[in-house]
Amino acid sequence: MIEFDVSTDAQGIGIVVPRGRLTMVSAPELRQILSDLVAQGTVRIVVDLAETTFMDSSGLGALIAGLKSARQGGGDLRIARPTEAVTAVLKLTNLDKVLRPRESVESAFYV
Amino acid sequence: MSEPHDHAPIGLDLSAPAEPSVVEAVQNELALLWEQRPDLDPGVTLRFEMGLVEILGNIVEHAFDPDTPGRLLTVAVTIEGDVVRGTLSDNGQPVAVDLSTVTMPDEDAESGRGLALAVAALDELSYTRDGDCNRWILRCGGAGS
Repeated sequence: MIEFDVSTDAQGIGIVVPRGRLTMVSAPELRQILSDLVAQGTVRIVVDLAETTFMDSSGLGALIAGLKSARQGGGDLRIARPTEAVTAVLKLTNLDKVLRPRESVESAFYV
Repeated sequence: MSEPHDHAPIGLDLSAPAEPSVVEAVQNELALLWEQRPDLDPGVTLRFEMGLVEILGNIVEHAFDPDTPGRLLTVAVTIEGDVVRGTLSDNGQPVAVDLSTVTMPDEDAESGRGLALAVAALDELSYTRDGDCNRWILRCGGAGS
């Protein structure tokens, strides 16, 4: 199963950490978490994928939905530290440009 | 249990209601299967699992009328040598799909990537309607990969 850690750092950047497999089972929860963050005014979000052991197209869909709503709110959604499994999905779907992996959570908004 | 290096055929068979939770169950079983064959190319096992999960997702989402009882799905996976094969069968509605024309949607699409991802990940994917059943055949590794 999957767990999500959600926090906000000192700069007001939302940090979401999915731990486990991000599939159609868990993607709706991620979609809701991202939507809630933006609704609360947290429009800069980093999704830390270092512990996301697997991601399918519905997980990708949740990230794209979050990216769109964050940008509509004047912010952005960035991903950091993807695992090999996540990187493979990003490449196969040609989304590694739209969701460009960042090396760390801390630098995701400063590089 | 077979020795990791004798390459005796191993596999899994699972029958379950076609609900999202089946994805988790299949992935748990697959993880146990991969553990028995640590010599397999991790790229092959990852691509197979990606393809399988997408087809499972497609079946759970599309092949059934939500109000129809008896939504059943069977999953069979075998590993022989360095080839991983899967057969997914369900008793849902026929699927109108031409796998040769499946394309990746636009970057900002929030859905619709499943089949395109499965086609890209797998070395072989086919769909047939067999009587009252849908049957998906998947392969990763081996000749033509």
